Amino acid sequence: MTQPTDATTGIVLNIQHFCTNDGPGIRTTVFLKGCSLRCKWCCNPESIHPKPELSYNLSKCIGEKECGFCLKECPEAALFALESDGKVRVNWDLCTNCAKCVDVCPPHALTLFGQQMTVDQVLDEVEQDNNFYNESGGGITVSGGECLLQPDFTAALLKGAHERGISTAIETAGNVPWRFMELVLPHVDVMLHDHKLTDPVRHKKWTGVDNSRILANFKQAYETFLTTKFIARTPLMPGVNDDEEHIRSVLAFIRPHSHVVDYQLLPYHRFGENKYNFLGRVYELEDFEAPAAETLARLRAIIDEAFGRGSNSAAGGQAEHG
Amino acid sequence: MSTRIALNLGGGFVPGVNAVITGVVLAANQLGWQAVGIHDGFEGLWFPERYPRGGLLDLSALGEGLNSSAAVIGTATKVDPFRVRTINSENQVEEVDRSDQLIELLRINKVDAVISIVGPRALSVIFKLHRKGLRVVAVPTSVENDVAATQLSFGFNSALSCAAEMLERIREAARSARRIGVIEILGEHSGWLALQAGIAAGADAILIPEIRYDLGKVAAKLKTKLSSHTRYGLVVVAEGAQSAVPEAEPQPVNPLKASLAPLATGHEGEHVIEPSGFMAKKIARNLQKLTDHETYPLALGQLIKGGNPTAVDRQLGLAYGAAAVRALHENHSGVMTSFVPPELKFVPLSEAINKIRTVPANSLFLQTARSLGICLGD
Repeated sequence: MTQPTDATTGIVLNIQHFCTNDGPGIRTTVFLKGCSLRCKWCCNPESIHPKPELSYNLSKCIGEKECGFCLKECPEAALFALESDGKVRVNWDLCTNCAKCVDVCPPHALTLFGQQMTVDQVLDEVEQDNNFYNESGGGITVSGGECLLQPDFTAALLKGAHERGISTAIETAGNVPWRFMELVLPHVDVMLHDHKLTDPVRHKKWTGVDNSRILANFKQAYETFLTTKFIARTPLMPGVNDDEEHIRSVLAFIRPHSHVVDYQLLPYHRFGENKYNFLGRVYELEDFEAPAAETLARLRAIIDEAFGRGSNSAAGGQAEHG
Repeated sequence: MSTRIALNLGGGFVPGVNAVITGVVLAANQLGWQAVGIHDGFEGLWFPERYPRGGLLDLSALGEGLNSSAAVIGTATKVDPFRVRTINSENQVEEVDRSDQLIELLRINKVDAVISIVGPRALSVIFKLHRKGLRVVAVPTSVENDVAATQLSFGFNSALSCAAEMLERIREAARSARRIGVIEILGEHSGWLALQAGIAAGADAILIPEIRYDLGKVAAKLKTKLSSHTRYGLVVVAEGAQSAVPEAEPQPVNPLKASLAPLATGHEGEHVIEPSGFMAKKIARNLQKLTDHETYPLALGQLIKGGNPTAVDRQLGLAYGAAAVRALHENHSGVMTSFVPPELKFVPLSEAINKIRTVPANSLFLQTARSLGICLGD
């Protein structure tokens, strides 16, 4: 069968098969680069910057003496070898992400997070798991970063997926101009969207911006796209938003809309630090603990009650922040 | 016309920083120059409206207040005008290059030169500003003493004294509790602080990033010490210490997923964030297994960055501050003050960046530790 072709391109971070937490069924999640928030707990720091960027995994470096090609290749002198172990380090302040070192690094210690791909390239990869989608009710999920910051690419991707008979979902934090959301949502079957904090001042403190536009976008989306299923989510951060007040205010926001079919809590847990190291960044929340099981159960019970479900419901039960 | 110099702080407070500021102001006064402080890194220039008296603080008017001037000026965790986090017209957070604007703002504020008191990483930022034409001198601060091209960064001596005293106290506590104290000390790449504090406090073993450790050897050393009369020990570990024995690769949590997507980012279980004190806990747990003796882990962490400066740091701070002004007076730019006894000199920033000052294999401190019978894990 001849597939329609689409050469629209976007900056893709990763395509991850067999995801079970990013919407119904078994899904393939396509992570796009670029985010308009700076959540302090971000577990995908490699998705924040909109363009491809250098990543360095020290443990894979074989050393200056044995290799050292990258040191000769870097036009900015942004790489140097440490005397004590002979391995390379990146001076992140001098690096311009030109990626010349990536091409000459045999052990792939230096790699690039993100690459330009066409819609067809992505969909050809996604389509490989068609049988899983059909069996499980899954499909493609476009995530990020913030997938709606590449609205033309995301819309083309989802439209193309529909044309190939693949169900579609997106994960969004909603901090984009409404016109971006309006462009993409006609092609979305399920929209997973984040309610991170209720209070606008605290939202700004923890994510970088207040939530007024985010909430306006969600409300308009609920009211405009009546056949789309919406799933609200909260990445549950201990001491930040793991309180009843936030959960109840999200419920008050979503419950008037019957096509918001679920509200899931994604408990914070420690990961991502390696990726922060790979990018030469500092993780600010290293001493955060995962929320207590009792807290999680208590808050999920409130949600179950609001949705008229038994407390043993599986809704959100297996979802994890990520 | 009088020269106007601006001073700013990056990388957090370190004992001795007030001495550097005092040194700058007094030396500037001697030349008839005016010294101002930029609030919170460079934020005083970008957001002067946030400060009741404007973004620049006249340091010459502080008088006795100079002794606590660092707290008044404020610091920024990262002094980087090349990546300033802003909210754009679309309400999106983004990092933008504001270096040109910074240089223009300095010109508008009639600032002729900048003295930046910064840690090792920000030296590269200062180097880039110098390349863009800014007259700038850096003063190195590091409690880990890991800045290259100088033998001593200010702040190190105070942190070392604090760490040594804390270790002494912990050793006494370990003796009372009949346990092996495993104490983690700052030092991701460089073991100076752990090594020197450990020697000073009479540790049984010191593990530093420069020497890969074998815990079996540490346990053997402790076992020779532990007896019915001596039932305690003290192990100092730098946070960046690494085992000589490769540790087991984390297993993918979901093998099916791994087989389907071998190149995928990986399950979150592969990217566990280690909280501070993780090294102390790991070493303590493993040593307990190897020695059958109770251990307890503790991380000194950021505690050692507080407190009063030692006399060495006061002197060094004053000297660095005065030297930074002298560098500008002698028309140097793009340099860092450097103390290589007996000289206090200026070195080009290009010689200080892209290097980390680590403990060399022939270090006198390593020789001393070995002579004293301290196990270094090798």
